[in-house]
Amino acid sequence: MIEIFLLSLVALSSVGAYFLGTNRLGLQAQSLLAAGARMLEVVGIALIFGVVNMSIGIVMVIATRMLTHWFLSLYMVNDISLWVLSLLQGLTFHWWRSYDSGVGSRVQDRALRRHRG
Amino acid sequence: MSYGSFSRGLGISAVIVFVMTAFTPVPIALFHAMRAPVHEEPAEAIVVLGGSVSLEGVLSDGSLRNTLRGITLFRRGLGPLLVLCGDARSDGPVEAEIRAALALELGVPPSAILTVVGARTTKGEADRVSALLRPRGVRRLLLVADSLHMARALPLFERRGFNTFAAPAGEFIATADAPEARLAVARWLAREFLARMYYRTVGY
Repeated sequence: MIEIFLLSLVALSSVGAYFLGTNRLGLQAQSLLAAGARMLEVVGIALIFGVVNMSIGIVMVIATRMLTHWFLSLYMVNDISLWVLSLLQGLTFHWWRSYDSGVGSRVQDRALRRHRG
Repeated sequence: MSYGSFSRGLGISAVIVFVMTAFTPVPIALFHAMRAPVHEEPAEAIVVLGGSVSLEGVLSDGSLRNTLRGITLFRRGLGPLLVLCGDARSDGPVEAEIRAALALELGVPPSAILTVVGARTTKGEADRVSALLRPRGVRRLLLVADSLHMARALPLFERRGFNTFAAPAGEFIATADAPEARLAVARWLAREFLARMYYRTVGY
């Protein structure tokens, strides 16, 4: 029941955003698919950051246990905030790459032109 | 494979895993596959493995649940000794002592309560419990832990010469019927999977 409720909320707000984007903001409906693909790219990059962060964390915990008298729990790397931070890293990396490869710059230039004129 | 298609592929996989975890019973099925089955038998000691305690001296949900399970088993006559594990948090309260105070309040006689302090891992608990109970001639244990932890803990006690039976106290998870609860189960499964990998790698 709660699943249907939650998915309905997301579906409703998505439909609202679609109409707002196409009618008020002048966005192209065809580019929605490309936007979805880029979202998946960000999720993929965030996943890589998450796995890398966890791996570094595991190595650090084990090394600390072996090389010092300190005890660190392996459970520390299972903290949910690590995945949120990884998502932020993924977003930043993705946009950095986009700007550097020109895609983001074009978007920015278009936004600037619209703003000026 | 290009950068874009590789990260997109990973992203699709992540979204599929998220949807299956949050919106289907997959994590619950995995939980049932990974947990240790209940095998309650009369023993010479009931051993409750450690959980955690806050700096204010409040037992975590899991710690409290396991403690109450151990006390219940003791009161049902399944063992003459109640061994309560649990380390101190920094210089704060000691989990085993808080558990012992609770057991006393709930009618367990002081002579039946033993505490194990200072172990920070399940392996450490197995070592200390072994050092405490083997000189007393104890060979049959009824082990209390959550269901997933139990599957990892049982072999550790078996390898130290104990005939060990499982009395897990984590069955509440079978009722995880909302996306957030299922995600919590998935996180618990991931944590336990990680711990099992570690134990296997270092040869515990």
